[in-house]
Amino acid sequence: MATSALATPTTESFTHRAIALVPGLLLLVAVGYAGKFIEQSIAAYTKANHITFPNIEYVLWAIVIGLILSNTVGIPRVFAPGIATYEFWLEAGIVLLGSRFLLGDVLHLGGISLVLVAIAITLSLTFMHFLGRAFKLKPKLTSLLAVGSSICGVSAIIAAKPSIDADDEDASYAIAAILALGAISLFTFPLIGHSLHLSDKAYGLWAGLAVDNTAEATAAGALYSDAAGKVAVLAKTSRNALIGFIVLGYAIYWSGRGQAGKVGNKAVFLWNKFPKFVLGFLLISLLATAGFFAKPQLASLANLSRWAFLLTFAGVGLRINLRELGKQGWKPFAVGAIGEVFIALLTLGLVYGADHYLTL
Amino acid sequence: MPNTQTAVARRSLSPDIFAVALALLAALLVRLNLLPPIKW
Repeated sequence: MATSALATPTTESFTHRAIALVPGLLLLVAVGYAGKFIEQSIAAYTKANHITFPNIEYVLWAIVIGLILSNTVGIPRVFAPGIATYEFWLEAGIVLLGSRFLLGDVLHLGGISLVLVAIAITLSLTFMHFLGRAFKLKPKLTSLLAVGSSICGVSAIIAAKPSIDADDEDASYAIAAILALGAISLFTFPLIGHSLHLSDKAYGLWAGLAVDNTAEATAAGALYSDAAGKVAVLAKTSRNALIGFIVLGYAIYWSGRGQAGKVGNKAVFLWNKFPKFVLGFLLISLLATAGFFAKPQLASLANLSRWAFLLTFAGVGLRINLRELGKQGWKPFAVGAIGEVFIALLTLGLVYGADHYLTL
Repeated sequence: MPNTQTAVARRSLSPDIFAVALALLAALLVRLNLLPPIKW
């Protein structure tokens, strides 16, 4: 989650940068609202005409509209800075979503998620390195793919790249593979979840544990149901919280082999890599649990979170560029794809186990 | 390397903190009833 346009260092004035965000932001609003409008129009039409038709969430419409725009007419450069803010809205939305969780639920489900994440990360990192060797990928590219697919997608790759002194080329291959696989899982996970009749909690946990990028994990959860979306965000947030530890591990490993700079203060390193929105989410959840907000205020916060996610989902669709994704080398994609299938099956098994032996 | 890491950390931190700050500010405004009820 380090790719936001707001993060780009520039000598331009604050006003110029703020103005540059406007076209893309307006496009996010337009695409997201169009998705919401289509969902509501179909629901109203089918209800008025007594037609039985499955409700297709605004999430899917917003993503599909964005994907079609991006891959047919294309998105002019002037929209790019504003579109890149979709991860900013995702983080703000996750913090506000804390209002829909009691802290006890966060600790219970978050605790289960952390245990499952720890098991999944250990096994998936091992498997990814085995695959990297089998496909003769460069070791640092394998490290980036392993971090991206087992932790936090693109953000983890961006966090790990300078720490292990990886090439730009390796990072872009790994990012392209993770983005392509994220786009595929966005549409396949809900279908698999429905065919397996997973409960909202089990599916949400699975999506949060297996889908790489936070935006895609949130969308994959919300595509299943509102409740599944909530759980997916919580599970993914637990996974994100571990990003610093894994990147630190890799930094120490590559530094020990003389192929990356020395790691200084480890506590500072961990704090720099720690996603701060996790703390914001916990704070809002704590305040909601302590009765700081009245019921109508909690409803307002939950709706604010939905509006923020609306912009995020529009950005997810607008970001998918099928032509660019097709240009990447086949080997990183193959390693990523095999690894993703392994992680999806592994986490599905873990979620099944947790659903049967623990109370989700 | 430390300089690079510091620069990268500074770059990657800002949007995270801005997003948290914006969300907390919105929550405070809602709490103080300074925002109208948000509908979906």
